Amino acid sequence: MISHINVHAVLQQAVAGFYTDLVTRPTGRAVRENIERALPPGTVAVMDFTGVGCLDYSCADEIVAKLVRDKVTVLLLRGLTDAHREAIEPVLAGAGLAVLCERADGVLEGLGASEPAPALLDELVERQLAARNPGGTIRLTAA
Amino acid sequence: MTRLVEVPTSFDDRSFDQFAAAYAQASDGERLLFDAHAAEWASPYGLVGLLAAGEAAARKGERPLLTAPANPDVVSYWARAGFFREAGDLFEVHGKVPKLKPAVESEVLLPVTPVRAAADVHAVVSTIQQRASAILSSELGLDPKATMGFAMALSESCQNIVEHAGTGGWVAVQAYNWRRKLARRVVVIAVADAGVGFRHSLESTQAKRFGERWGDAAALEAALIQGVSRFRDPGRGQGLAGIRRYLARWEGKVAIRSGTARIAIVPRWDDDVPLKDGLPAFPGSQVLLIIPEQASEKGSSKQ
Repeated sequence: MISHINVHAVLQQAVAGFYTDLVTRPTGRAVRENIERALPPGTVAVMDFTGVGCLDYSCADEIVAKLVRDKVTVLLLRGLTDAHREAIEPVLAGAGLAVLCERADGVLEGLGASEPAPALLDELVERQLAARNPGGTIRLTAA
Repeated sequence: MTRLVEVPTSFDDRSFDQFAAAYAQASDGERLLFDAHAAEWASPYGLVGLLAAGEAAARKGERPLLTAPANPDVVSYWARAGFFREAGDLFEVHGKVPKLKPAVESEVLLPVTPVRAAADVHAVVSTIQQRASAILSSELGLDPKATMGFAMALSESCQNIVEHAGTGGWVAVQAYNWRRKLARRVVVIAVADAGVGFRHSLESTQAKRFGERWGDAAALEAALIQGVSRFRDPGRGQGLAGIRRYLARWEGKVAIRSGTARIAIVPRWDDDVPLKDGLPAFPGSQVLLIIPEQASEKGSSKQ
């Protein structure tokens, strides 16, 4: 089973004020704690960043890196802009962590440290949540 | 007794040490008179630094005095830059100050804005995305995607106040032609506070590691070069590292002054020194980010 997280919606619930930017540690902490309450440990989760404006390094660490480190087995991100990737990638790489990222064409790829990414893809295939295509790429089987 | 602290005629990061030296001579209990009547120009760094000095002076003694610039164009510019909106709370202001709202004009991307809490950082980031996008791409030749990185760098700079200063501070962002160094347009982010400074913030976790070398310079080096934070949380220290990456990509400059030291990541176009120690003591931290107009593909830059 995959848990789905709409980050923009969580941001609206977690923080007073109508923000679209994920900036500052306190905001990141509030969003992560809100997400964690709904996530069983060891889960596979999809986080959709559609509608999120600026994401800074502090929030990338506070939300993405900490969920990967402490809460989820596989974290799959979708709806990322290039700027979101630029914030998340160095934060994960610096901590030796990785997530999967769903490209616009549906192909999954690693983001962050290079070593853990293949195991994450294998985990999804093993759980039959993703499948390998003839070209060798991997896509989700369940949305 | 009132002590005079002269505001340099041209007040920016280069002349700041002259200002700090005058400020450092004051002793506790003395009332300070910041004299800016002869000021002809101030960068965002000068303006937010002056506010930090005012806050620190007020903490130590009587509410400080400020003589506004006598030049009507200068005082009008300071007003449009949002300086007097903040200064009114800190100083007893003397001189003719026009009652202007902070401007929405091309060079003032973000007027002098107080930063005290996370909500202020949200407001700053939101404002700058609306105002800076066109300037960054059309006037500075940055990739439109760089706007978000700019907002990230601004966010992280402001968060240093919220997370570490132990007090509030100010941020200002302006774009202007920088004839002195580059003959190009630049965007400047200036952030200043009169808080505890880097050395105090990092002392409990880093002083032992540095031993006798520990001081303001070592603290700045630890924060900017080594990416250490006072928090033991493994993900901390991302902010300044991210700022460095962003500026390296766009040939930008970062300089941080705290206490008696100043550190800078110096791009090719600048001749600043990477680390200065033994400067006149000044409270808190003052951060300067400069992003220059990008040279065009033909090798020339817009004038």
